[in-house]
Amino acid sequence: MGRTLPSITQEFLQEEASFARFRRALRRSDQIVLDDLFDLARQHLAATAYASHALPFETLLLCMLLEEHKEVMKLKQYIAANRSGNE
Amino acid sequence: MSNELHGWLLDLLPNKQELTIWVLGKDGKRHALSHDFPIAFYAAGPAQHLRALWKWLRQQPENPKLSREERRDLFTGSIPVLAVELAFPSDLTQLFNRTSQAFPDLTYYNADIPISLRYAARYGVFPLADCEVRLDPSGRISDIRSTQSPWEVDLPLPPLTILSLEPECDPFHATPTKVFIQTPKARFSLDVEPARVFIIALHALLKRHDPDLILTAWGDTWLLPKLLQMSRETGIDLPLNRDLGQSVKHREARTYYAYGQVIHRGRQVLLAGRWHIDIHNAVMYHDYGLEGIWELARVTGLPVQTVARVSPGTGISSMQIVTALKDGVLVPWHKQQAENTKSIMDLIHADMGGLVFQPTIGVHKDVAEIDFISMYPSVMARFNISPETILPGIHDEGTDLPATSIEQGLVPKTLEPLLKKRIAIKVQLLTMSKWDMRYKSYKAQSAAHKWLLVTCFGYLGYKNARFGKIEAHEAVTAYGREALLRAKEAAEDMGFTVLHMYVDGLWVQKQGSNKVQDLQPLLEEILKRTGLPIALDGIYRWISFLPSRLNKKVPVANHYFGVFQSGEVKCRGIELRRHDTPAFIRDGQCEVLEILSGSPDLDHISECLSKIQRLIDGKLYDLRRQHVPPEKLIVRQTLSRPVNEYRVPSPAAIAARQLEEAGKFLRPGQIVRFIYTCGKPGVHAWDLEQPFDPKMIDVHAYKILLNRAMETVLHPFISLQNQPSLPLFVSDIGNCY
Repeated sequence: MGRTLPSITQEFLQEEASFARFRRALRRSDQIVLDDLFDLARQHLAATAYASHALPFETLLLCMLLEEHKEVMKLKQYIAANRSGNE
Repeated sequence: MSNELHGWLLDLLPNKQELTIWVLGKDGKRHALSHDFPIAFYAAGPAQHLRALWKWLRQQPENPKLSREERRDLFTGSIPVLAVELAFPSDLTQLFNRTSQAFPDLTYYNADIPISLRYAARYGVFPLADCEVRLDPSGRISDIRSTQSPWEVDLPLPPLTILSLEPECDPFHATPTKVFIQTPKARFSLDVEPARVFIIALHALLKRHDPDLILTAWGDTWLLPKLLQMSRETGIDLPLNRDLGQSVKHREARTYYAYGQVIHRGRQVLLAGRWHIDIHNAVMYHDYGLEGIWELARVTGLPVQTVARVSPGTGISSMQIVTALKDGVLVPWHKQQAENTKSIMDLIHADMGGLVFQPTIGVHKDVAEIDFISMYPSVMARFNISPETILPGIHDEGTDLPATSIEQGLVPKTLEPLLKKRIAIKVQLLTMSKWDMRYKSYKAQSAAHKWLLVTCFGYLGYKNARFGKIEAHEAVTAYGREALLRAKEAAEDMGFTVLHMYVDGLWVQKQGSNKVQDLQPLLEEILKRTGLPIALDGIYRWISFLPSRLNKKVPVANHYFGVFQSGEVKCRGIELRRHDTPAFIRDGQCEVLEILSGSPDLDHISECLSKIQRLIDGKLYDLRRQHVPPEKLIVRQTLSRPVNEYRVPSPAAIAARQLEEAGKFLRPGQIVRFIYTCGKPGVHAWDLEQPFDPKMIDVHAYKILLNRAMETVLHPFISLQNQPSLPLFVSDIGNCY
């Protein structure tokens, strides 16, 4: 309503849709992983909007990386905790 | 006749030659007093055009008084104008219409200002104000003053006489045969037929009680038009107006589009010398009632009858007009401020709304919700944001926030007293017992203020707002985002986890911080960093942020429910808050939340689950056995377009078509009520004349709705228990998919 520019959610959906051909050619198991990556990026839409970059996909990639790295850190901590428990 | 009169201002109406002021005297009598009130409009433009206008106006029958003056335009400063003053206010509309047609190129000011606003600005009086009226020897008003200001908190209400008329049922559903009547002393009913007896009885009631307000249900859309028709047919006069010299005024129904919704306003019936309010056609009546209407009339200066029926947007724009008139600023006839040109990057940076975060999905313990108090209005007042104060292209030092000029702008000046009054009432409400006599009235006033303040922000960006400019609208959101981020930083610096942020509120959590005093340092720090007042809305025992129905991994910003430490439930976006949810489903979800709120904390929730299971079993049993009254299964949906324009007929469109076939027509923005039924066509319009057979109810459809509502409130706890084998509702309702 009364918008000059699309909202960040609309832009996100457009970006996701623009990869439809790419997604289609992936294996089913990889498609699920790709969907997961987009879901991860979606959790930071507010920050993406606030960043207001001309090409939001760059920011979305960073969001995916951020969530991935969070997961890595969590696993690292888990391993460290278990290792010290075993020793 | 004494030359002074004390009383309350009720109404003012332009008559042919003067203004009639209705005053409820301290002597208990209603006085209609005359007041000479010349009014003016202004024209600006090239000198030779103004000269031509001068010559033309001198030949007009209204014989206006003409003069050249310097007046202040809000945006361009002092400009030369032609002032056109008329002795009789009722002449202005006609003369102005002819003028603007004959000279369309000129810029006009003060051309379409409601007379009550001109009067409020000139004399400082407002509807319901306690007034001192000075009369000349002929009994006409020579001066009027109020001893009160609309910004005082406890303004006493004049002793109004109210007559209520309420048909026994919704006239759209069935033709009422009785009307319930409430006089100041008694409540009784009158039969509509025979018409003669009915009209004679009403005539007697109006004469005897002489009410200041006729409060009706469906009075605009059915009752008053019906009464006028009966009066014509029987030839018995019905003095609905107190001012017998004037006729009853009608305004036709209209449908318009605002805030993403199609809105329908029914036909209006307006009285002279007394007010008529239809509770079903009054805006937000369910929210603030008569108390809210009184308050809106006081602060906006609009007549009571008008203010009951207009949107808060009209209210706030009226307040801005009064501020402008008092300051001698010209009020443009049409909006003149277009958006400044800007680069695409500037647009990307500016064209954003409030910050809306994605919450952390799941159930959280001991969460505090803190909200900025009236954030956008506070931003406008604190940072002096007004269409004329934004300095284009300049930023505040060291930030990317738009800079504003030093002189107080029109919008902040209008808002400041309103904000102060709202905060004063809010502060009183915090400590006031719910049984205090003032509690209800304060709540209603606070709700009325809230709507004015909320729309004030929207009006800055509205395409037709006289005092609107998109850059000011964008500046408000920019300051709002900055404040919210500073609040987040303050919370994180003090060791809180920020679970969610939504435009003007934050949900924060910190181990061991679950008392009001634990949050105080944070509130003070945020006030220090943002300059905006912030308050603790409450501390939740637990709160659940819900995922999207389509994708369980994606959080939704405004779908949540939780229980405060007081046991009070707060929820947003779930089924029970939706207008189209049938009462049966809404009640079910409410009852579940009530059971959940009975648990002292999150660890004891599992003890409630068996009770909830019994509740749901009972609901399903009632549904299958047709024990649920059909009224509780009514779905209410708003028609978004004319019935014949629906390409794929939705249940609402099918129901509306059924009504059309029965001769009942609905317009876009009106609500259609229906029940899901078995087989084709799948719905039954509730307002059809033929009785509804409860055997037709589509039990399956309502089971699905019930299941959805239950899943919303129970899913978080089932996943929390991590015990899929719990004997829960899913096993039963699961079959209905």
